[in-house]
Amino acid sequence: MSLKNCYNFEDFRKLAKKKLPSPIFHYIDGGSDDESTLRRNTDSFNECDLVPNILASVGKPDLSTTLFGRKIDMPIFLSPAAMQRLYHPDGDKASARAAEKFGTFYSMSSMGNNSIEEISNISSGPKLFQLYVHKDRSISDDLIDRSRRSGFDAMCLTVDTLVAGNREKDHRTGFTTPPKLTLQSLISFAMRPNWVFNYLTGKKFELSNVKKKTDKGTSIAKSVIEYINEQYDPAMGWKDAEYCAKKWNGPFALKGVMSVEDAKRAIDIGCTAIMISNHGGRQLDGSRSPFDQVKAISDAVGDKLEIILDGGVRRGTHVLKALAAGAKACSFGKMFLFSLAAGGQKGVEHLLQNMHDEINRNMVLMGCKNLKELNSSKLIYRSRS
Amino acid sequence: MIMRLKDCHNFSDFRKLAKLKLPSPIFHYIDGAADDEITYARNTSAFDDVDLVPNVLRGVENVDLSTTIFGKKLDLPFYLSPTALQRLFHYDGERAVGKAAKKFNTMFGVSALATVSVEEISSMIDTPKMFQFYFHKDRGLNDSCLERAKAAKFDVMALTVDTITGGNRERDLRTGFTSPPKLTLSSLFSFATKPMWGINYLTKGKFELPHLQDFVKEGTSTNSSIGNYFSTMLDQSMNWKDAEKLCSQWGGHFALKGVMSVEDAKRAVDIGCTGIMVSNHGGRQLDGSRSPFDQLAEIVDAVGDKLDVICEGGIHRGTHMLKALSLGAKACSGGRLYLYALAAGGQAGVERAIEKYKSELVRDMKLMGCTKISDLNRDNLRFRRT
Repeated sequence: MSLKNCYNFEDFRKLAKKKLPSPIFHYIDGGSDDESTLRRNTDSFNECDLVPNILASVGKPDLSTTLFGRKIDMPIFLSPAAMQRLYHPDGDKASARAAEKFGTFYSMSSMGNNSIEEISNISSGPKLFQLYVHKDRSISDDLIDRSRRSGFDAMCLTVDTLVAGNREKDHRTGFTTPPKLTLQSLISFAMRPNWVFNYLTGKKFELSNVKKKTDKGTSIAKSVIEYINEQYDPAMGWKDAEYCAKKWNGPFALKGVMSVEDAKRAIDIGCTAIMISNHGGRQLDGSRSPFDQVKAISDAVGDKLEIILDGGVRRGTHVLKALAAGAKACSFGKMFLFSLAAGGQKGVEHLLQNMHDEINRNMVLMGCKNLKELNSSKLIYRSRS
Repeated sequence: MIMRLKDCHNFSDFRKLAKLKLPSPIFHYIDGAADDEITYARNTSAFDDVDLVPNVLRGVENVDLSTTIFGKKLDLPFYLSPTALQRLFHYDGERAVGKAAKKFNTMFGVSALATVSVEEISSMIDTPKMFQFYFHKDRGLNDSCLERAKAAKFDVMALTVDTITGGNRERDLRTGFTSPPKLTLSSLFSFATKPMWGINYLTKGKFELPHLQDFVKEGTSTNSSIGNYFSTMLDQSMNWKDAEKLCSQWGGHFALKGVMSVEDAKRAVDIGCTGIMVSNHGGRQLDGSRSPFDQLAEIVDAVGDKLDVICEGGIHRGTHMLKALSLGAKACSGGRLYLYALAAGGQAGVERAIEKYKSELVRDMKLMGCTKISDLNRDNLRFRRT
């Protein structure tokens, strides 16, 4: 199996599974508790159907839109994801270059292994920085200042990670960062010599953006769960979010909004966008899926905020359904991380090309010339008995 | 492969370890349910038809999980349902479960078919206790149970109303489950392959049903199946008058366990009950019966302001409890919830299970943006099919 045989999510996933040591693969692949929300995030797209219009003289559809004040070439982008060097030695550099090539947003996690400055030197494409509010507020201040200086276009504050989700796969595999070799995982690492070679010979593994402020990301083997529970501030409230929005003073999103009430409040504190997300089913299991919730939120605030649907997207048709239900764009984490693990920058480009082709083909089949033509009239929800 | 208690992170892990430790007829007695086990499966899958909608940025450092039922403050919004024959599952039986409940200050339900007496339990734990009562044909036995529970200072009496006859538990028919266990040819192999269970059963004290043994032979010497016990010993003519009489005879907090219809819930209020357990006996009685979670909202709407409504059955996760509490249940309870853990590791097992559910609840409350149980309400929920 090679990259050129990867046609869809499942293919990239399989190739990633082959290439990654099992604790690392399962860290990407797993959700919380029984993973019912993780499954629902994708399943929910199957409860409504697209209704095409024929003979619409589509020609070549225009897939571009604007997001966070930048024009992007297609309505999808890469969600912020932590520790990308665990998946491929090029880490964030690979993702950022691939996104730039396809004219869309790359996002950097507070817990990235490449620094803000490093990425802004190699990419002039659209860039979003993802912020966590740490107990030590000077960490957040520093990240905001540096992102601005480095020319990032937008900032999102993650609000669904006050406490780590119950990711049972990580308990079982002993996933820590940097990876700790337990007897159990040793075999899995030993069977992937390439990964181990790259990991050991590459640059030292670190959380580049927060390394000056905390030693937690580097010297000590810590599970992500422990990191979240020690470093993030569970007392974070609306005032803290408002402070970050004001300090950033540019396009600003909350990532992890699920209720209509919170979406309205996001407008009041000066957000220009929200990301409807349950953190890829990795936090509160039993939580509603973004697609199930997008219509209600879009009906309430769609004219005042840019709505991004984050989670469960695996197909071009999923993107079309999300846009028809009121989203401005979609983002995804797992899918591109698998492609990153499968083939670095080339892998992510291959994925983005696939998604571009799917969206393009499906727009033609739907009879839509541009994204604006995707509206609720194109969707029918299956009968709810 | 789950081999040790510390590998157990959730309901299904405890179940696997229990399966490893118990002779198969005993494991299947816990694990099985009536007929095709459709209700048993639905009890849990019902929770998947509704989703939680969290609120963000609310400041959730400290979470208070306490709730008050039957006039008693519990530190957790769930408790341990009364279950029979616990010493079959672990030689410490009710002693282990009671001590674990005490440690977490939640309610411990003691079955009429318990294998440790109410007096011993009461001398062991001073935290809230519920006695579960079956209405026998022998009125002398009924009076004795009531008096002993009262003398032992139990806080709540729960009358089980859904076992008027034994459910059709086909797994027990196949494995030959009886109490005390009978060695049939087919089960012999299973007992022989779990020697620790056999050694403990034979050496850790005689197996008894202390609440019944002075009255009926089913308690000790003769092998009897549970279904047979229900069908022959319990009074099938039991009616609302009998329940009302018991309620006033008890004179304290009184609940009906196994109420499923709104009409019956209203009637429970009329006869003086202070609580009801919405329950189908863990799917072990009437297969095809509605699940407690599916039925909860209707019942809360009708009587939630007049008595404590408890959602019992199918709960495997903290999020399941959050959903039931959001609909208006005052607390949740379960039997298998802790029985597998009891079999897996005695008191330490039950404590680990409670600790797991507790930490799930704390985490899930924070993720929901809630700091106390009363913050949960129906605005937090969206039903997928309406």
